[in-house]
Amino acid sequence: MTALRKPSDLRRTQARTGYLFVLPTSVLYLTFVLAPVILTVILSFAYYDPMLGSRWVGLENFQRFFTDRRSLEILWNTLRFTFFAVTFNVSIGLILALALNRAMPGWLLYFFRLAFFLPVIIAAAFVSIVWSYFFGDDLGVINYFLRVLGLPAVRWLTDASTAMTSIVIMDVWKNTGFFMIIFIAALQGVPKSIMEAAVMDGTPAWRQFFRITLPYISPVVFFCIVYASIGALQVYESIVILTQGGPGDATRSLSILIVEQGFGSFQIGYAAAISVVMTVIILVITAIQQALSRKWVQR
Amino acid sequence: MNTAMQTQAAKRWLDYTIIAVIAVLAIGMLLPFLWLFSVSFKPVSEAYKLPPTFWPTSLDLSNYAAVLASRVPFLQIYGNSLLIAVVVTVGQLVTCTLAAFAFARLEFRGRDTLFVILLIGLMFPAQVTILPIYLGYAQVGLINQPIGLGLMYLTSSFGVFLMRQFMLSQPKALEEAALMDGAGYLKIFWRISLPQLRPALSALGIITFTQTWNYYFQARVLLGRETSMTLPVAMDVLRGYLGSGSLSLVMAAMSMSILPVVLLFLIAQKFVIEGITMSGIKN
Repeated sequence: MTALRKPSDLRRTQARTGYLFVLPTSVLYLTFVLAPVILTVILSFAYYDPMLGSRWVGLENFQRFFTDRRSLEILWNTLRFTFFAVTFNVSIGLILALALNRAMPGWLLYFFRLAFFLPVIIAAAFVSIVWSYFFGDDLGVINYFLRVLGLPAVRWLTDASTAMTSIVIMDVWKNTGFFMIIFIAALQGVPKSIMEAAVMDGTPAWRQFFRITLPYISPVVFFCIVYASIGALQVYESIVILTQGGPGDATRSLSILIVEQGFGSFQIGYAAAISVVMTVIILVITAIQQALSRKWVQR
Repeated sequence: MNTAMQTQAAKRWLDYTIIAVIAVLAIGMLLPFLWLFSVSFKPVSEAYKLPPTFWPTSLDLSNYAAVLASRVPFLQIYGNSLLIAVVVTVGQLVTCTLAAFAFARLEFRGRDTLFVILLIGLMFPAQVTILPIYLGYAQVGLINQPIGLGLMYLTSSFGVFLMRQFMLSQPKALEEAALMDGAGYLKIFWRISLPQLRPALSALGIITFTQTWNYYFQARVLLGRETSMTLPVAMDVLRGYLGSGSLSLVMAAMSMSILPVVLLFLIAQKFVIEGITMSGIKN
């Protein structure tokens, strides 16, 4: 083995090693992400029936989705849930981060991070079962405390007009800690010198926030909004466990409809079309975020 | 001077008030967990009794024993969850670090294009891949096979992205010196790059394990048979079987199910939070 290597040799081994190292990931990614996405798009234009033969149906599946009152209601539910879940998750996460962004003993910070982050790491499928007992009508934990305080009991999950709110409440409990953690890190990146100068000038706290802090962390805020939206649009298990989509269709989400149509009624093409709609919404939200952050965030 | 001291004092009291409010909220956040632990130790007949309790009065393990002795194959389901989570975690640590090293350190044609294509994967929800995967799995007999769920997640765009970020933030000097000495890239990757990345590997490992442990949508679609289920899916089934008899048993099963994730988090809070902020901030 000689220590002297020709640059061209080195470049060739480098390229060869590079391809070798990305090979496992590329193959798996192609098999389990890229190809399935393309196949789903293809399926969305078809009526799929392996027994009697599949056929192309053009835009029929999409037409059905956008003209059916039930599916439109479910789309609206999902968008409504997304709007409220994202708004409260991100804003409460930011408020908590601002509150925690001050001097305190290390063990206290450890405890706070633990308390707010624990719900994030436990499966929604688990905590939803606990919450279903919290939200119970007569034996429910929350209604018990309402009664103790002399307040009327709430039909958290069994009333069509409150069920969605209850699901948002649990979602915020579960996820806001994630955004809190990200905002804490972002706030620590705001230069101390600028903040100190503002304090010396006697700038009021709310103004410091809107003039200095918020612009500085705005890229992170945008990231959080998009991240939260992508998650919220897929909402599934919390609803399945808390209300099974009910009462009626009041809390049914797109994911539930996809499983119901694809794996319940074996309307594969229709289910594919619904998942394409969901993906397009995600892509549009991401594109809007990209465009907005290019326009506003640069400073 | 006096007013300055007064504002100082006022600010300190404001700090204390805010911390006190946060402390109350933090305890509120923990109530569902405290309730579930407390119920898991209660005798079956008292599970529904109000007022609710948030602290176990006894450490009676008979509900836990009853879950293990029930006709639900709880241990097997537990084993399925462990198998999938371990396979996926090990798989991702290998595939993602290899790919990340290539993207961060090696030059080859099409590298950046490939990386962008990989990143696009972050935007595709499981809902848009599950139908073809289900149909394909049905062909090759992977439905109701726990390992089938594991296969899907042997790599992840997020993992590659996260490890690449960590690698890029590392000094290259050592690696270049080793290269000059005639070391091969595999050796550099294994001997120099990876040992420096221990915190990042822990972060990715814990995040991946937790995520895999918690999968529901995919698991519910692919693993319908009871003996092939994972814990999150089985919990709902358990609730049907055991719940009619006893809430305490369901909560005992739940306590056992969340234990690995809670332990991991208690031990390695720092790594988890580092990994998550790293991915959030650098995005």
